[in-house]
Amino acid sequence: MKSRPFIILFWVLLLVPAVIISVVAFKLLLHEQERINRSTIISLTERAETLARNIHITVKEVEESLSRALIDIEPDKLKSTLLFWEETNPLIRNVFIWEKKSLLKYPAKGMASTLEERQFVSRFDSFFTGERAFAVNIQTEEIEQPSQYQSSKGSLYDLARGKTAMSTEIQGIQEQDLNSGKIVFTQQSGWIPWFAQDQLFILGWVKKIRNGPVYGIELELVSLLSRLVVDLPQIEGQGLSFAILDSRKQIVHLSGGIEIEDTHACDISTPLSVLLPHWQVCIFFDRENYAPGKGFLYVSMLLLFIFMAAIISGGLLITSQTRKHMKDAMQKTSFVSSVSHELKTPLTSIRMYSELMLDGRSVSKEKTKHYLEVMVAQSQRLTRLINNILDFGKLEQGKKTYNKGEVNLRNLLIRIIDAHSIRIKKAGFKINTNISKEAYKVISDSDAIEQVILNLIDNALKYAKSGKFIAFALEDDFKNYILLKISDHGPGILRKHQKAIFEKFYRIDNSLTSTFPGSGLGLSIARQILRDLGGDLYFEPTSEGGSCFIARIPKQDASK
Amino acid sequence: MKHLIFVAGIIMVLVFTASTSMSKPYNGKVICRVETEKSVLFAGEAQDVVIKVTLDAPPVPSYVQRPPVNLSIVLDKSGSMNGEKIKHAKAAAIEAVQRLGNADIFSLVVYDSNVHTVIPAQLVRNRDRIVSKIQRIYASGSTALFGGVSQGASEIRKHIGSEYIHRIILLSDGLANVGPQSPVALGRLGAALIKENISVTTIGVGYDYNEDLMTRLSQKSDGNSYFVETGSELPRIFAAELGDVLNVVAKKIKVVISMPDGVEPISIIGREGRIKGKKIELSMNQLYGDQEKYALVKVKVPKSSTGTIMEIAKAKVRYENPFNKKTEVVYGKSIAKFSKDPKLVKKSTNVKVVREYYRNLNAMEQEKAISLSDKGKNKEAVQALKASAVKMKSIAKEYNDEVLLEEAEDMEKQAEVIETDGMNKKMRKVLRTESYQMKNQQKAE
Repeated sequence: MKSRPFIILFWVLLLVPAVIISVVAFKLLLHEQERINRSTIISLTERAETLARNIHITVKEVEESLSRALIDIEPDKLKSTLLFWEETNPLIRNVFIWEKKSLLKYPAKGMASTLEERQFVSRFDSFFTGERAFAVNIQTEEIEQPSQYQSSKGSLYDLARGKTAMSTEIQGIQEQDLNSGKIVFTQQSGWIPWFAQDQLFILGWVKKIRNGPVYGIELELVSLLSRLVVDLPQIEGQGLSFAILDSRKQIVHLSGGIEIEDTHACDISTPLSVLLPHWQVCIFFDRENYAPGKGFLYVSMLLLFIFMAAIISGGLLITSQTRKHMKDAMQKTSFVSSVSHELKTPLTSIRMYSELMLDGRSVSKEKTKHYLEVMVAQSQRLTRLINNILDFGKLEQGKKTYNKGEVNLRNLLIRIIDAHSIRIKKAGFKINTNISKEAYKVISDSDAIEQVILNLIDNALKYAKSGKFIAFALEDDFKNYILLKISDHGPGILRKHQKAIFEKFYRIDNSLTSTFPGSGLGLSIARQILRDLGGDLYFEPTSEGGSCFIARIPKQDASK
Repeated sequence: MKHLIFVAGIIMVLVFTASTSMSKPYNGKVICRVETEKSVLFAGEAQDVVIKVTLDAPPVPSYVQRPPVNLSIVLDKSGSMNGEKIKHAKAAAIEAVQRLGNADIFSLVVYDSNVHTVIPAQLVRNRDRIVSKIQRIYASGSTALFGGVSQGASEIRKHIGSEYIHRIILLSDGLANVGPQSPVALGRLGAALIKENISVTTIGVGYDYNEDLMTRLSQKSDGNSYFVETGSELPRIFAAELGDVLNVVAKKIKVVISMPDGVEPISIIGREGRIKGKKIELSMNQLYGDQEKYALVKVKVPKSSTGTIMEIAKAKVRYENPFNKKTEVVYGKSIAKFSKDPKLVKKSTNVKVVREYYRNLNAMEQEKAISLSDKGKNKEAVQALKASAVKMKSIAKEYNDEVLLEEAEDMEKQAEVIETDGMNKKMRKVLRTESYQMKNQQKAE
């Protein structure tokens, strides 16, 4: 965990499985979505089939009970019963009685029948003219009718209900019975779905006695539908509609939230019933709105995205934190060694000169004075260094206090230059000043500004050794600030370091073998002080390639 | 003691009077009149004679409690009803609720592309709740007219066994586009519903509804049919419609007109029926209090000599009296004299019979005009209407009949409108509804 490649390696180790898991999860989600869609379609199909089955059962029940009722009509009341039914039963549209010999007995021909009856006759003309046999969908029930019951017709009803038998079994009995002189009733009945004028009509017929009349009814399909549709389940919710379509693909019944424009564009369809040929139950659904899995996919995708984002950002955060901590640790190590070095140099000088004086070797007064001057200068240097370190601590914790008052920057600067001119000149620099006679008054802390200026001078002396001068200038920006510029003629600062030099502990050459002593705190402290005072410090390269540090000092008290 | 007897006597008299007035049976019978167009027929030649069999329903006296009503209102709330129409329709439905009594049953079904029962069949007790539910209806969607009527019928059926007068009032302004939607199919629905004693009254609002479908539905179920241009007329129609519903005095009416030897039935005018040999069979579903319904038939009368008095037709009317639930039978017959005097023959004309005959013929011409203009033959339609108007006018002048004259003039105007503007939606609806009201002898409006 100590080097960068290691961090990247660990990060990659975290990232790669996360990406793999995400891709796999995404694929699984898509599959799951498909599965949900499929199961939705399956369940819808099942619903359609159930609906169709229910309708089929209902229609079948209606047909069967009507057949039963038709069979149960007493032969001598046939016509009157049928007419009564026609008049009173909403499920019966027309009735008829037909015989093989005389063909249609009822409805009568011509004006004795109504228009509706005439149309009915013409619809089923091929049956009534004998051209087509009634026995299309035949159901046969053969009922044994013992001869002793022949006269009492009322009992036939009971007998027919009670003694229904399978036709295969009856065949034998029929023969036997004929031999024994009994009469056998063969009951045949059926329902004929019939298309006329592209519409479905349903005819139910019964033939009770062999060679007897065929009679029956035409089902009032509209009435049957009218009763069916009110019992069909209501479809609630958006995006789904159930429809019953007739043979012309017209909607007979619709339930649900989709408005249907084209009945051919049905999503799921299933035939309704053999009793209603070519009719179908159709389901229309809007894949946008009616997809219960869509929501699932969106939510899962969102969760997956959050998971990925958490892993990647967490990894990045850990990496950056680690790098930051490593950098800090390295800078602190270098800071400690630099500071130790910095402290050691003046201390060594002071110690050396004071030992010389203690040995009493220096006798001349001049020499003694020189020694003392060196010791004073080095202790001042020590003081500045320690002040900087102390200030850095205060600044870091935000505990540094400022004593603000009116400061004449011109006087302050001139005083500092005067005080340090010897040191500067000894270091081989010329002093250039470009300070007009204006007062450049600001409300600020003069000690703090002095510290800033000293740090900048120290920096110039330290890093611009090849330079020939240090220039000081004061300018008014005619707005809110006074600009104090300290520039040198040194090697300047590479562009990549220009920002970083203001960071704490940052030194361009951070190695222990560095040519230049320093703690890496000067510029950081100077900038922090100026910012605390409401100004700023920034770097500008000079036209000759040197460095220029510009301290922007607010005229009024603009500190936070 | 005398006083006591006197007081007791008075109490007894009061109790007796009260009990008689409470239980006084309503015995008003339908009167059957059989009239020929002329009471004196021209002697010496065989001729076609129009016979009018009129059923006069007695007015229902106020003391008679009307049978309770089982009313279902089926309201089109499709998008096109939005705005004033639905507002008026709601007002009309509320009017209906306010008019019903505590023993009546009310239900309300609305439909767009789906059908919803807003108010399931219930006794009209909590009017405020019903009204507030009606007020919450808003319009949207398409038009499932068949489903709506089916649902209305299903609500009615919840009390079908009971002694109610069953009625659906259907209100729509649009074409049915969900469910069976042909006039024939809806007609069959009507025919099936009347078998359960359910009548459907249809009210078409505006110019976009299908008048063929609506009139067919009400015709087959013996309801009334109305065309209103704006919704504002609705409350009035609902009021009239409920007035009608509340006063049915005869149900399931069967009319058998029989002719003596020599007189041959030719045709039935304006109604459906059967001609079986010498008999004409007709049926009507119900007759409202104080309403006149009639049937017109044409017969061939044989050549007869002057002075002969002949029975032309007799009618036997069988119906169910909803008050005592008994089947009643009434009779009527028509006798004609024969004369060679044309003046006498003309003088004997029964203007009412002639008028109704021509009005019925006119209704048939209106239907014919509609079907002609549907085929794009506007000119022929105008001609048919104009010819009918001319005919009516000449008859009106001949018999000095102002009613017929007025109708003839209306007809002329209609023909002119069609001639200049073509058969527009409004005119088609006017013609269809008028001819329906005529043929059905609709009482209201």
